[in-house]
Amino acid sequence: MFFNSLHFAIFLPIVFILYWFVGHKSKINQNYILIVASYYFYSCWDWRFLFLLIFSTLLDFSCAIKIEQSNTPAARKLWLWLCLTVNVGFLGVFKYYNFFAESFTALLGSMGLHTNPLLLDVILPVGISFYTFHGLSYIIDIYYGRIKSEKNFVDYSLFVCYFPLLVAGPIERATHLLPQVKKRRKFNFNKAKEGIYQIIWGLVKKVVIADSCANYANDIFDHYNVMNSYSLLLGAVYFAFQIYGDFSGYSDIALGTSKLFGIDLLRNFNYPYFSRDIAEFWRKWHISLTTWFRDYLYIPLGGSKGSKASIVRNTFIIFLVSGFWHGANWTYIAWGLINALYFLPLLLLNRNRNHVGDFTLGFNLKSLQTLFNILTTFAITCLAWIFFRSKTITDALEYCKRMFTNGEFTQQYFTIGRYNYELIMLVVLFAIVEWNSRTKIEPISGKYSWLKLSLCLAALLALGVFSDYKEFIYFQF
Amino acid sequence: MKQFILFLLKIAAVLVLTMILLDVAYTAVYLQSNRRSKIDYLYNSKNQNYDVVFLGSSRVNNHFVPKLFKEQGYKTFNFGITRSRLEESALMLKLMVERNYKIKNLILQVDLNINTNDHSEDIRSLFMPYLHQSEIIRAHYKDIPEYHELLYVPFYRYMHYDARVGFREMFLSLLHKKTNVLDNDGFYPLQSIEGKMVPADLSKYYPKRNVAYEEIRAICKKQHINLIALTTPMCMSTINRDYFKHIREVYPEIYNFENAVTEDKYFATCGHMNQAGAEFFTKVVFNAFFKPKTKS
Repeated sequence: MFFNSLHFAIFLPIVFILYWFVGHKSKINQNYILIVASYYFYSCWDWRFLFLLIFSTLLDFSCAIKIEQSNTPAARKLWLWLCLTVNVGFLGVFKYYNFFAESFTALLGSMGLHTNPLLLDVILPVGISFYTFHGLSYIIDIYYGRIKSEKNFVDYSLFVCYFPLLVAGPIERATHLLPQVKKRRKFNFNKAKEGIYQIIWGLVKKVVIADSCANYANDIFDHYNVMNSYSLLLGAVYFAFQIYGDFSGYSDIALGTSKLFGIDLLRNFNYPYFSRDIAEFWRKWHISLTTWFRDYLYIPLGGSKGSKASIVRNTFIIFLVSGFWHGANWTYIAWGLINALYFLPLLLLNRNRNHVGDFTLGFNLKSLQTLFNILTTFAITCLAWIFFRSKTITDALEYCKRMFTNGEFTQQYFTIGRYNYELIMLVVLFAIVEWNSRTKIEPISGKYSWLKLSLCLAALLALGVFSDYKEFIYFQF
Repeated sequence: MKQFILFLLKIAAVLVLTMILLDVAYTAVYLQSNRRSKIDYLYNSKNQNYDVVFLGSSRVNNHFVPKLFKEQGYKTFNFGITRSRLEESALMLKLMVERNYKIKNLILQVDLNINTNDHSEDIRSLFMPYLHQSEIIRAHYKDIPEYHELLYVPFYRYMHYDARVGFREMFLSLLHKKTNVLDNDGFYPLQSIEGKMVPADLSKYYPKRNVAYEEIRAICKKQHINLIALTTPMCMSTINRDYFKHIREVYPEIYNFENAVTEDKYFATCGHMNQAGAEFFTKVVFNAFFKPKTKS
């Protein structure tokens, strides 16, 4: 069941009515309704993986209590490692086993030893990367004594399986979400209204921007060897907007949906393409994952303390792991490495926190410099996206080579019956709307909200891609 | 909560109003358009007289050269559409009758398309703007599963078929941007592609009774149109060329022309002839069924 499907459009109002009209009198009822809805939501993908989700929930819940009850540090550590090993083990088997087996076979092959790898014929359980990280953050927080373990299994289950965030995040923290599910939610009109606006804007991002860009980007990436420089350049830009529209659109729908149930989720995007350097970009892109890696990997590794060499090492580790988290493919690792390389000069010059505040543009030299920085950051981000999108690293390198050497900047007609330049207007218009609303969560609220809402609905109906349905990209991770 | 329900109702009202307005606007644009596809050209024309009309898929669109018929004094138009199936050809013929076309001969391609009773979503979408206006189109589609949504939910048809009649197509129609589909009286010539010919595989093809073909046959009989149903050439390396023989077992009146052109130099791909092949084949068909009206 996808957020942009008719199935979800029927499911959501039913859950909303049950939640506010049947279960509104107690927190327990509200939580039970959300759990049943969440399990139904998850089982719509593949009911068999529901057992994995329930097992993971039970494991983390029990281990957390055991860690807290253990009297010795060794026992605490034992329970922590047991939980980490099982959770990461599941992730490893389902997501990475085949990749490692094939890579190992290729390595042996390069040394003249030819073997047939034993590959698993399994599909990746949807959302496994998200709910595993979700549970891990809880366990690690318990281990370090940052929070107390949850004794109510129903509340904890809801924390793990809450449907708006279950399949693609945001990766929540127990400190943020658990206190909200532990008390009865009261209906708040303004919050619900904000949620509706956010859902509509999320749908515009997904169905209008991401899916339109996907049509062009797919054709360009699939036939990059016959594309000219202009098409390849546009292909990278279209994919940048596709993945942004897709994932931030999903996040907006998730956050908006959650607001309808009176629960706030962590913000996942903060207009990342208006970043002035790559460090700022990573503070604004997939925030819940970036902060997860910061808190549970970067800081335990030593973080920014210690020698420059160790800081650089830690930075490279989190970028590489972050790339690998996205999928079992060398292209994602290369994408992580490229971003680490972008980050390196800022780190060495101690300029990675130069751009943390808000900014405005005016008619002066400083604004020109800011604009230049934004465009440069966007350009290098697009270059990195080429590696993220390509099927292999060779494809990505060939794509880049052709983009820089072909030298033709003319219109090109694609097999999908479209010209390469046709989407530029839409992308520019979207960027303008985003720029004007960059201090808000979504562009609809505020003055003339009904007019803006009508325009969004009209855009959704008229410009949306409905006949060529596309899944959310991050569901595969 | 009451306030929120009211808020949702207002959004629903705005949504419905937007859908109605968009539906009206899109339809108005498509009713003015007659230069972008053979369907809009057909729908927005009336009282045409043709000696010969061609109907079928790309194997008509790329294979019959109306100019060669015209040179012999025959008024013709090639209404073949790439990806079209017999289901769409039948509807086009019904529309021609509805638009008061006077047709003496209909050359209908019946070969690969008789393998299925299915339709083409791509071509079906091109009829959708006229669904409310044309009783013929409504009657033709009354049994399809989404008929009620397409007819009664405003703008649903343009969303459902957005790739072919969505915003882009509406916008280009509004600007009266012409396509090349009507050039050469509907014939689209192909150029040869360098490299070895990839043989077409018809091993899974088997001719079946075709509802749309029988419908076309009945219409022609009723309207006194001389129906010439024929197969068109495919390259000689095609796997299972016996398929063409079997067609006659199902419908004996179909003429076999799959061997009319045999040399690879006349083909752009195995299933489609190039311009030289099309001209050669058109002459073969002309000589088989017609006589020159004018002396060249």
